[in-house]
Amino acid sequence: MAPRVVVIGLASDFGCQVQMTNIEDDLLDVLGLIDLQYWQLASSGHMPDSYDVAIVEGAVTTLEHIATLERVRATASAVIAIGACAVTGGIPALASHGRLEERYSLVYGDGPSVAPGRIKPQAVDSVIDVDYRIPGCPIDMGEFVQVLSRALQGLSDHLPQEPLCAICKTKENVCFYERGEVCLGVLTRTGCDARCVSLGRPCTGCRGLAEDANLESALRLLDERGIDTSDVLVRARLYNTLEEAFTR
Amino acid sequence: MSTLTVEHVARIEGHGTITVDVDAGAVQSVHLDIVEPARYFESMVVGRRLEDAPLITSRICGICSPNHMLTSIKALESALGLEVSERTQVMRKLLVYGSFLQNHATHLYLFAAPDYVGLPSVFPLAETHPDVVDRALRIKKLGNDLTTLVGGRSVHPVTAVIGGFTSEPDPRRLEAFRDTLIATVRDAVATVDLFSAFEEFEVHTDGEMLALTAGDDYAIYDGEIAALRAGWRRPVSEYRDIITERVIGHSNAKHSTVGGEPLMVGALPRINLNAAALSPEAARALEKSPITVGSRNAFFNNLSQAIELIDALERCAGYIDRLLEMGGSTQVEKFDIAAGRGAGATEAPRGTLYHSYEVDATGIIRAGDVITPTAQNLANLEADMWKFAPTVVDRPRPEFLMAIERLVRAYDPCLSCSVH
Repeated sequence: MAPRVVVIGLASDFGCQVQMTNIEDDLLDVLGLIDLQYWQLASSGHMPDSYDVAIVEGAVTTLEHIATLERVRATASAVIAIGACAVTGGIPALASHGRLEERYSLVYGDGPSVAPGRIKPQAVDSVIDVDYRIPGCPIDMGEFVQVLSRALQGLSDHLPQEPLCAICKTKENVCFYERGEVCLGVLTRTGCDARCVSLGRPCTGCRGLAEDANLESALRLLDERGIDTSDVLVRARLYNTLEEAFTR
Repeated sequence: MSTLTVEHVARIEGHGTITVDVDAGAVQSVHLDIVEPARYFESMVVGRRLEDAPLITSRICGICSPNHMLTSIKALESALGLEVSERTQVMRKLLVYGSFLQNHATHLYLFAAPDYVGLPSVFPLAETHPDVVDRALRIKKLGNDLTTLVGGRSVHPVTAVIGGFTSEPDPRRLEAFRDTLIATVRDAVATVDLFSAFEEFEVHTDGEMLALTAGDDYAIYDGEIAALRAGWRRPVSEYRDIITERVIGHSNAKHSTVGGEPLMVGALPRINLNAAALSPEAARALEKSPITVGSRNAFFNNLSQAIELIDALERCAGYIDRLLEMGGSTQVEKFDIAAGRGAGATEAPRGTLYHSYEVDATGIIRAGDVITPTAQNLANLEADMWKFAPTVVDRPRPEFLMAIERLVRAYDPCLSCSVH
């Protein structure tokens, strides 16, 4: 029997779910391997009571999200967190700084009350155990297909651990440090093929911290090249604001 | 009295719930509750470097991320008093059209079409009508490929920055892509034929219709705001005086009005205001279609998107010709940080999108505002639902609810945009 899969969206821009529809050449093949039981974006239907694999996109921003995740964990044998929002809190977690009520007032004023059950944004694994992670903003579809296949076979997610620079060097890109600009490649988990740097933009850290990222030595590296390091932490928090290393 | 609900309406981007109260066969009330969670984007950009704003705000929406990115960039360029080259402008238009092609194909085939043939999703059609599904995926992929060609990636493009592009496509790839665009026109024409043949509901929408308009161009990247009924044209910089947003108790998205009335934005208003600027093949398709210019049947927003597919393909081929003829390559314009305020607008697939920012003398953002097309449409959509529901209430319940869902989907709502 094909594994029964559900797709669940929390607080996100749906970009990773859109990516999932963007494997036009492979979409129908991948769908052939699984029994897709619930995917609100693509099909009418109700969330079933029983399933094997849950794919979760988005950050946790409401009490309802917590309840949903607890149900998911109690039901699914494998939980796959997809995208920066789910894996690190991503961009939504920028709203975790300061008082949430001030942010609420700035956006909604003091009229009728909306956004019930709101809480400070969190990553999915701060609420439930996560078995597989597919980082990035948005996810890379090659990696998605790979991790999904590994999950279906019960293998580990096998994420690349080294920093981006390791791959970037092989692309023969001119290092942003040579141009005196901040790039977060030295701290960030690789696996993206250094796409941004190859297209002329410094890494913004969307894939989260590399396993052996060393913030101290990264700052020293920049400093030695005469690059202003005063806002490096602010930049590094863009997708990783909940990382302990950046909260000091 | 019985309360009927459709929780988390399927085949739309984001989470919304329809609630209808029916008493003795008469519709008492209809609501669309937007339960998509708030992310407070307007608060997130405050205190960040101005260069971060396009990157952050494009994460409002994964479907129209090129629009959010470019609208943010345009607003900041306006605040900085920065002008960009014609080459940059043409490349930006290609980026917007990449998202039109991708979005319209996804909306029409994956989201809307199953309704017309009574299926829960498009997937069963892969067995029964593989030609139709192949066509859908071809157009959708072409849109993604265009955004990737110009932007480096289809969701959250990489290369567009304040002042220009950090990288640009190889002319040979552009030239080859031009031929693919032209070859795909027949797929778009077939899409118009398909949606013209479907039996369509009718609801006469009362709201004002707004779209960007720019002389002879089918405006999607620049121009002024035009109103269909009132007949005025006003600059984008005045958008906050034109559109009033207010918080509604049952929705995490605000509702908008213009001159106290609900309003509609999107493909149907664009066609109503800019039909004369449509490309030749798109104009022919409009002529043949059941839409007459000035139509107020909101359901025709679907067919209008199909007509826009033809226009997008022909227009993009022309833009690529222009890029090849210009030669050279994009330079990112340098700029000096200065305090200022600026607003920008583009046409996203589902309607006009506005961003504005206030920047201080050190380049830090002090305030930001975003009004998305779906937020503009919600009041009008709900008014249409009130009007439409009584005309179908005598149908069996599943069919009745499906008819209302179809109206919601006709607006191609993006609820994560609408809340943001």
